[in-house]
Amino acid sequence: MLTEWFFKPNLHTLDVYESLGGYSALRKVVTTMTAQQVIDEVKVSGLRGRGGADFPTAMKWSFVPKDHPGPKYIVVNADESEPGSAKDRYLMENSPHALIEGAAIASFAIGGHQAWIYIRGEYDLPYEMLRDAIAEAHAKGYLGDHPFGADHALDVRLYRGHGAYICGEETALLESLEGKRAQPRSRPPFPAVKGAWGLPTAVNNVETLSTVPWIIRHGGAEYASRGTEKAKGTRMVTVSGDVQKPGNYEIEIGVTYRDIIEGLAGGMFPGRKLKVFWPGGSSAKVLPASMIDTSTDLDGLKALGTMGGSGGIIVMDDSHCVVKAAARLLRFYAHESCGKCTPCRVGGNWAVRTYDRILANEGSQLELAILERVSDGLQNGRCLCGLGDAAGWVIESTMRHFHDEYEDHCLRHTCNVGKALAHA
Amino acid sequence: MKTTKTTSALSPHLIEEIKALPARYPQPRSAVMPALDLAQEELGYLTPEAMTEVATALQLDAGYVEGVATFYTLFHLEPIGKHRFYMCTNLSCTLRGAEEIVEHLRDAIGVKEAGEVSEDGLFSYEEVECMGACEYAPMCRVDHRYHYDLTNEKVDQLVAEKRHPAFPPVQARVAPLPSPPPGGGGSELPSPPRGEGQGEGLKPAKPRKKKASA
Repeated sequence: MLTEWFFKPNLHTLDVYESLGGYSALRKVVTTMTAQQVIDEVKVSGLRGRGGADFPTAMKWSFVPKDHPGPKYIVVNADESEPGSAKDRYLMENSPHALIEGAAIASFAIGGHQAWIYIRGEYDLPYEMLRDAIAEAHAKGYLGDHPFGADHALDVRLYRGHGAYICGEETALLESLEGKRAQPRSRPPFPAVKGAWGLPTAVNNVETLSTVPWIIRHGGAEYASRGTEKAKGTRMVTVSGDVQKPGNYEIEIGVTYRDIIEGLAGGMFPGRKLKVFWPGGSSAKVLPASMIDTSTDLDGLKALGTMGGSGGIIVMDDSHCVVKAAARLLRFYAHESCGKCTPCRVGGNWAVRTYDRILANEGSQLELAILERVSDGLQNGRCLCGLGDAAGWVIESTMRHFHDEYEDHCLRHTCNVGKALAHA
Repeated sequence: MKTTKTTSALSPHLIEEIKALPARYPQPRSAVMPALDLAQEELGYLTPEAMTEVATALQLDAGYVEGVATFYTLFHLEPIGKHRFYMCTNLSCTLRGAEEIVEHLRDAIGVKEAGEVSEDGLFSYEEVECMGACEYAPMCRVDHRYHYDLTNEKVDQLVAEKRHPAFPPVQARVAPLPSPPPGGGGSELPSPPRGEGQGEGLKPAKPRKKKASA
């Protein structure tokens, strides 16, 4: 559904996008619907946020106070930086107008007039494409003071990030948008009440908003007819790592990871076996090969203690070492910690030093105990945002499923798998 | 990378441009990153003087501006090469050999470590975290463009191209690749969005202007 037009050449131009039916949803919304009707339609669809938090989109919009007199904002989280996830880039590069249309519809739904797309600084091409697309939409009169002749001004603007993983966290993103260091805020107040520049704001992911025009065109019920009982529709996944055909794929929620890894992504390289995969970005707890038949059902994944997250599926085969991979990810989390909360700032670096000792063959029972302790200290809501938790989950889940490898490294100073990983 | 002859770090017209930025945002403070961006574009990196001038132009505290600049990866406080290689070494890229690629790049541009600028001033590199193109791992970003499915040969070619701009350009596949839509309801994708040869041979994207200011 999201990718239904991706065959067409030059879909990024307004002419092609419109010839396929693009902007008909925005036209319908501003000329025939009320804000409440838009929210209701999206509610029927069951659409949930695709940035990782999985929160119902319609509910998020309805939290924005309707009677607030001043400006209200939609902020688009286009700061995709979860390791393993590339689907937002893919969507923006292919169909920038879908995001713009979705953002405009969302602005209308919350009774606002301006949407800000916060796009990560490394995304030069998507930025340029969005910039040109917004200009096209303005020139056509689809954005502006009277979109499609209606009396509800709509505008979409761009703001570039400058390289910080933490900006993917919504309140950190808002801080960054306000020109500050990106450090998460404590909640409440929630962004719906006090968001960008202190005003009511709904922060939505690129994929979420790119889905909205489809829902308006085809109806929420049609969207809800796909997917599982509770997790509706389709979603994007990025498959990367040790597979033959890495790529971005749109899947119906509910297919299994076997369908994705062995089917869509072409399976393992000859002679290699699946060892482990991250089901939803590096922050999702790992699942071992034996769990490849797990469904992509978002609630099912939650029940397993992991998550569908941002849809980044990282696949690792038996030629790589789990301890080294975990060490690599911990370096990432330690580097990207914004430093505001002590457990995350200190714990991440502590874990990195411990992994360094382990990989230098200086490990012992003590290192195992430290990792367990640090992992626990990072988790369970001790910090303002989920970064610390995610770092803890990497340690915990890899230790749980691959304790023997940790023991090999710590107690026997050997590694059973061949190829060495980063900075090992 | 042009240098100014005046005593100030930033050229007068740039200061004017920076002063006009706050009006674009609901609150003026939001202009700080776009302003630093402009300053960096002119100087190549942010000197203390440049940050002070940005602060003055925006009526902010110099320490505050520096605090923002030091927080974000894409602001440089040391000189960088004319062509900066941002090499992803996060997990997906590392699984596909990013470490070896970085090693090769070091030799190709003649530096010993990240951040060091090559003798001719042309090149430097840094290892960065995930840049969101994991399906094309290993990948890097140079001069505002992504380069995918890196091999040692591609790195060599890229370096040669940057060194001698007349060199036949690397097929930087920057144009988005359409993926076939899911069949019917979108449950299954019969063919992958990137198949054989998608990494190379695709036509380099539409020419676009390089300047990027928010």
